[in-house]
Amino acid sequence: MDSDRGENGDSSHNHVSKKPKLSAFISEEEIRQEFSHHQRGIARINNGSFGSCPASIIAAQKEWQLRFLQQPDDFYFNHLRKGLLESRTVVKGLINADSVDEVSLIDNATTAAAIVLQQIGRAFAQGKFQKGDVVVMLHCAFQSVKKSIQAYVTGAGGSVIEVQLPFPLTSKEEIVSEFRKGLEKGKSDGRHVRLAIIDHITSMPCVVVPVEELVKICRQEGVDQVFVDAAHAIGSVPVDVKEIGADFYVSNLHKWFFCPPSVAFLYCRKSPLSSEVHHPVVSHEFGNGLAIESSWIGTRDYSSQLVVPSVLEFVNRFEGGIEGIMMRNHEIVVKMGEMLAKSWGTNLGAPPEMCASMIMVGLPSRLFISSEEDAMRLRSYLRQHHGIEVPLHYQAPSDVEGGPKDKDGLFITVLTIIASLGMQLINLLSSDGVAKCFLWNKELVGSREEQFSMEQCLFSLLMLLRACMVSK
Amino acid sequence: MSRAMCMTWRHSSRLFSCCPLPFTSPLLLAPSHFHYIIPDIIVSHHHSHLLSSFTQNPSSQSSIMESSPPHHQQNESNGTHNISKKSKPMLISESDLRFEFSHHDPSIARINNGSFGSCPASVTAAQHHWQLLFLRQPDHFYFNRLQPAILRSRTLIKDLVNADHVDEISLVDNATTAAAIVLQQIAWAFTEGRFQRGDAVVMLHYAYGAVKKSIHAYVCRAGGQVIEVPLPFPVNSNEEIVDEFRRALMRGKANSGRVRLAVIDHITSMPSVLIPVKELVKICREEGVDQVFVDAAHGIGCTDVDMKEIGADFYTSNLHKWFFCPPSVAFLYCRKTPETSPELHHPVVSHEYGNGLAIESGWIGTRDYSAQLVVSDAIEFTNRFEGGIEGIKKRNHDGVVEMGKMLASAWGTNLGTPQEMCASLIMVGLPVSLGISSDSDAMKLRKHLRENFGVEVPIYYRHPKDGEVNPITGYARISYQVYNTIDDYYKFRDAVNQLVSDGFTCALFPK
Repeated sequence: MDSDRGENGDSSHNHVSKKPKLSAFISEEEIRQEFSHHQRGIARINNGSFGSCPASIIAAQKEWQLRFLQQPDDFYFNHLRKGLLESRTVVKGLINADSVDEVSLIDNATTAAAIVLQQIGRAFAQGKFQKGDVVVMLHCAFQSVKKSIQAYVTGAGGSVIEVQLPFPLTSKEEIVSEFRKGLEKGKSDGRHVRLAIIDHITSMPCVVVPVEELVKICRQEGVDQVFVDAAHAIGSVPVDVKEIGADFYVSNLHKWFFCPPSVAFLYCRKSPLSSEVHHPVVSHEFGNGLAIESSWIGTRDYSSQLVVPSVLEFVNRFEGGIEGIMMRNHEIVVKMGEMLAKSWGTNLGAPPEMCASMIMVGLPSRLFISSEEDAMRLRSYLRQHHGIEVPLHYQAPSDVEGGPKDKDGLFITVLTIIASLGMQLINLLSSDGVAKCFLWNKELVGSREEQFSMEQCLFSLLMLLRACMVSK
Repeated sequence: MSRAMCMTWRHSSRLFSCCPLPFTSPLLLAPSHFHYIIPDIIVSHHHSHLLSSFTQNPSSQSSIMESSPPHHQQNESNGTHNISKKSKPMLISESDLRFEFSHHDPSIARINNGSFGSCPASVTAAQHHWQLLFLRQPDHFYFNRLQPAILRSRTLIKDLVNADHVDEISLVDNATTAAAIVLQQIAWAFTEGRFQRGDAVVMLHYAYGAVKKSIHAYVCRAGGQVIEVPLPFPVNSNEEIVDEFRRALMRGKANSGRVRLAVIDHITSMPSVLIPVKELVKICREEGVDQVFVDAAHGIGCTDVDMKEIGADFYTSNLHKWFFCPPSVAFLYCRKTPETSPELHHPVVSHEYGNGLAIESGWIGTRDYSAQLVVSDAIEFTNRFEGGIEGIKKRNHDGVVEMGKMLASAWGTNLGTPQEMCASLIMVGLPVSLGISSDSDAMKLRKHLRENFGVEVPIYYRHPKDGEVNPITGYARISYQVYNTIDDYYKFRDAVNQLVSDGFTCALFPK
């Protein structure tokens, strides 16, 4: 493993084309083994929340951890920085950044948001921005990012404009036009839009946003900085930071790029303002640039940041490397989403071209989910009694006519994990699951005429999920 | 997991407490039994007590006790006789102790526990167990297991450090993070006009490098001024430190400025000195210092850590240095006062923002929190030693003093502090002939010792003062921890003796 590490600076397609034999690709049995630590009996279709990590990468990580424990001083002085630089170089190649200086490794997208927003906060505090200057974000931005904005922007005197993401939606133009409206609002009354935060793939509801186009609009409209929160992107959609053209771009490597928890990269385009950006945990390297600052923030376990080259090796065991995986994940999740929507008589939340490896599928309205609390309870219920792990999104009914009829209920995200083997790794459903289903139904809705058809709906939900699985 | 262990915590309205999923028995990773070689410890009678203190019978030489395997609870049934509550717990045997640290590189005399700490195999195994639980089913882990486990760790620490309330205990990565948290609120106070430009923050000259940078980043940038307390080294008494501290406070209060924060190390890093924090905190209160932050990176497991006795507003200590936790975990204590306490926040803002620092720190995005979850296992480990952590602290102190004196005597040098001003680290003067004349020399000598003699020990360069004749300019900071043997220190002694007899000086290092 050691000897391979240095050769993985190439992007994945070059590496794959050098392979002579097709049989070098990972087999189904090997995939199963790589994820054999996943709990049996769970239909794990929520890769988006916490990601997943194959056994060979966990082993690689443990090797790094052991090396630290064996002789930590030697590790610190002679191995750590070199290892981090190798990881950053792999990432630079994956995302087409100009320089490895532009690539910092940090814990997660949440940390990236703190980094970007702290410098905004400082600019307000130092009077570089006027009170009331604007930060624009999507209304469905991730909750922690919203709180970060509250802490660092609102607290410092900035104001925030939320752009409504229409949902369900049928085309990216809907997003673009809402975004333009948001920017206009931000520029009204002579204010400056200092920062736009754009999700590449929103979390809930989940949609692929046309970031390139939105960044272009930001430049046209004189937005100071653009921060793309792409927590889900790498390993999910192609990422070319030069094409996207944002000032900051963050993506978690532990979600869709098979790294252990946790590691993310924050790309910061070289600019005169680069030196203003700092890691909030100040250590010896303060002032040496974010990438170097982030490489030492006190004694910690940096092992998850050190296995990136090993992960590149892992994805190259699949046909087409990471591109092949992304393509197959997308195809399968669309197929499964369409299958479920058809069976339930519902619809998808967005067209397939606006999905990557996650898709929103409407749940039957007859489940009568009428609040976020209901969605959470149903999610817990599915986990506890049916071994299905899937996040549920409550979409408040809109008054717009022509909105999906049966869809004042719920959307679920259906997420696949691994390319060809996605569904085959799932295996479950207790035989008395159906009986429990009826019981729960009774509790929740009391006796009603529709009770029978609701039970039917639930029954078909379960049966359909079961139908996707290869039983062990 | 019983229902009783399922705890509701304050959370956004979207999340609910759930009953834990009935798990199949979690995979208990038993520590794999490495082959180890019990080292031939040649113990002279003079030093026998160092080793025999590990065993139950202090007068015997290296008696091997039978102990229960690392993972079992103490007082597990051991067959025939009844276990009464009064029976003594089985103490760790020498062979088990060697096993616990068998992952340490055997070719190295590891006398730098201060920098990165150490973690026994049984605690690492417990950590792996938690890591695996997350990987198996992360959603269930997140919703049902993580927060109760963090709360458990915080509660154990609260008891260890004599804090009043578990709300006062937050878990963070390390003291560096704690410093950022405390200093960030100072910066805000300046920005929001609660503090005036020119108000001062006082810190020790020997404050840790990273903390100094943090103070400059957060305080100076926001308009505060920084006052450093010069400390003498070598130092001979607490009074020397107290005097300098008073003087610095006076300087801070001059020009009718306020001293808003005093940052005091409990045990300085380089050079390492045990600071009389209780006394300094008292002086701060007398002199009207707003807040006192004790940076005790080396505190817990090393020296006495009693929050109420010390009386600081903020106190942080790394658990991975001297308390056998894996990298990395530290606690930050924030004293609850009847008056409005300053609002502290974790700089990485996540869902729990606004729910108090302890809760905020319990979720700062997806990460590996496993190091924070094994505090109970670390405590269990310490309780396998006579006297628990108190016994370990005492023997570490006695050991490091004894070894320090042995080395100073062998080299004809001196110690940097009297023995009551050190805990389990001590500064030992290096022979003058080694010619250490800069920080760079010290680093190179350290590397030379590591690579050519298999000794890992940090070296401190002490700038000579005017008028000093042939002063000692280099001090080694040696540590003593449960895994050390006398051979480690003999190895160091002999390495330096050889360098001296070879006529080595740092001038020989390439520039």
